[in-house]
Amino acid sequence: MASSTIAASSISFTSLTLNNKGLAKNSVSLSINGKSFPSLRLQAASRRFRVSCAAKPETVDKVCEIVRKQLAIQPDVAVTGDSKFAALGADSLDTVEIVMGLEEEFGISVEEESAQTIATVQDAADLIENLVEKKGSA
Amino acid sequence: MRMQCLDTKFFTSSTSLAPIQLPSRMETHLWYVIPNEVKSEQLLNKYLEFLPKSEKERVFSMRGDELQKGALLARALVRTTIARYQTNQVSPRSLKFRKNIHGKPEVDWQQIEDWHPQQLHFNISHTESLVACGVTTHNPIGIDIEEKERKIKHSISSFAKRYFSQQEVQLLSSISDPEIQRQEFIKLWTLKEAYVKALGRGFSGSPFKTFTIRSVAASKEGIHLSESSSSENSDIVVESLEDSANHTGDWRFALLELAGSHYAAICSKNHPMKMSVWRTIPLVEDEYVSGTDSVIAVGGLM
Repeated sequence: MASSTIAASSISFTSLTLNNKGLAKNSVSLSINGKSFPSLRLQAASRRFRVSCAAKPETVDKVCEIVRKQLAIQPDVAVTGDSKFAALGADSLDTVEIVMGLEEEFGISVEEESAQTIATVQDAADLIENLVEKKGSA
Repeated sequence: MRMQCLDTKFFTSSTSLAPIQLPSRMETHLWYVIPNEVKSEQLLNKYLEFLPKSEKERVFSMRGDELQKGALLARALVRTTIARYQTNQVSPRSLKFRKNIHGKPEVDWQQIEDWHPQQLHFNISHTESLVACGVTTHNPIGIDIEEKERKIKHSISSFAKRYFSQQEVQLLSSISDPEIQRQEFIKLWTLKEAYVKALGRGFSGSPFKTFTIRSVAASKEGIHLSESSSSENSDIVVESLEDSANHTGDWRFALLELAGSHYAAICSKNHPMKMSVWRTIPLVEDEYVSGTDSVIAVGGLM
């Protein structure tokens, strides 16, 4: 994950250069409009190939709802796209139940290998949309 | 109970953790903490002092006070317990951990000066209401605990068909009483989890479908199938469905009812498995509970 966030509205990307000279592997320094930012470390892509667009907010919300129910999350605890299942207290049995709940809700079938890569609510939502799309175009 | 007396008690013991003897080759030790028994904020802060920055961060990343407390107790339990097994005085804070090639946590002995590396293996499991740590020497160990009353939201049979082996599915579907079926499902799940954790390859490294765990009657003549799956005189064994050269015959299981509230599955290569169980509050007290109502053998024990 990038350690600094860039507010798109305040910077115009007229010149964007990536420079890897003299830096550690997997890191680049980002310079935008001549301003340089601290080097961003590129996360090595794990076995999964991440689709670039994020899932629709409705999908994320639905996943949050299912997760809340399965893990009996207190109302004062926020569950968002960033929320990690492990941090919400999900054990392996919970994760499996969540996946099964998502399959039922969205009418999809999740392979074991893909299920293992889900770490956050966002991951689950992205995977769902991917599978729903594949199903639709099949 | 006023905090004063508790403070005095743990301040005197906090400077020296009572040492404990390593389990012998044939023994397995199990330590557990009941979070509800740990109420003192000061005690919890003492536990926090045992953790390095990265572990503290992980504790605080848990969403909710109870989850944070559970995560803290798990780290405090493993650190204090391993420190107590050392022959030289060691502080729980000085322990370093790393993950093996498959991601299983283990002690990193090299990081500590003057230490004699031990053949010490451990594994942790916790629920909201119990934190447990199993310890063996010479052989890896895996443990898993689950609340006895845990409700499964999906149908047991759809769960089983998806994750369990054919023999296990058959066993579960032959149970007509839904409550007994739920209990047997949970027991089987903990046994399978314990095995996977003992192997140290993670859930995806040893998919549940690739092995069968079952009870066999232990007899002097040989092993034969027993009618009841939870007889005290039974052995619990695992068979690999993939690779017959998998040496699954080396692994042994114990299944317990712990503290009246949990099923605990322990998997190691110790045979026979001689278990010693303690209820503990780190820095405060230990209570040896083997042979009491807190530890009821369900299968696989001497």
